[in-house]
Amino acid sequence: MTIHMWLLFALALFCMGLYATLVRRNLIAILIGIELMLNAASINFMAFNKFVASDPVVGQIIVLFIIGLAAAEVAIALSIVLAVYREHANIDVSDLEELKG
Amino acid sequence: MIAGGLIVMLTIAGALIAIAQGNIVRAIFGLGVALAGVALAFLALGSPFVAAMEVLIYIGGITVAMVFAVMLSSAGRKEPAAPISRHLMAGLIALAFFVGVAIVITGAEFASPSEPASEAAWSVAELGRHLLNRFNVVFEALSVVLLLAIIGAIAIARRDEPEEVAP
Repeated sequence: MTIHMWLLFALALFCMGLYATLVRRNLIAILIGIELMLNAASINFMAFNKFVASDPVVGQIIVLFIIGLAAAEVAIALSIVLAVYREHANIDVSDLEELKG
Repeated sequence: MIAGGLIVMLTIAGALIAIAQGNIVRAIFGLGVALAGVALAFLALGSPFVAAMEVLIYIGGITVAMVFAVMLSSAGRKEPAAPISRHLMAGLIALAFFVGVAIVITGAEFASPSEPASEAAWSVAELGRHLLNRFNVVFEALSVVLLLAIIGAIAIARRDEPEEVAP
């Protein structure tokens, strides 16, 4: 596969994640959309790493950092899901209207 | 080429399940399939180590954590279908983004590196050496971020215990 095909593949994955993030109202489903977008970005980095970069180490390290940050993000997001569920007894973002400390 | 096509089909199919399935557990399963496809894509792009990390952390960690969160909250509850107007708006935005960026990608020319990287530059040993020398600060910063994320997750998710009343 050429670099253009990899980039279009990643773009398709990103747009599917974007669509899921905009349409879904379940917090975990929105999180799934965000994960798809992060993975599309990772594929882009790996494709550029193979076809364009002169040093193939840097792209791999960036992807490892993306994976690590995604893990941290998911830990925080899931704890927010549990906190929201305890307050509202469901995890629909339409119900989250008040902002109180 | 055929392997590449299979990887793309597997990933897109998994992602379609993930975004279209109303049952949230099935959507997480679709995400797992898509992530397996992404790991295969990393393998095809020449990095078995990053592919292994993708499987370990994403499929082994993140999807399992999501399943646990579903079990602790809205266990298997079906999400009500979104109104058609929201589907239209989101589809329009995603499609416009796709078309716009696709035009840029197909029109772009990418310069290949002057000399192709040697086999040794792709090794895991070289990866570790760079991670702990040139990118050491980022590596340590990421470990601090992960620690803070764990502490923050515990602080947010913990039940507020009722205060002990002094006798």
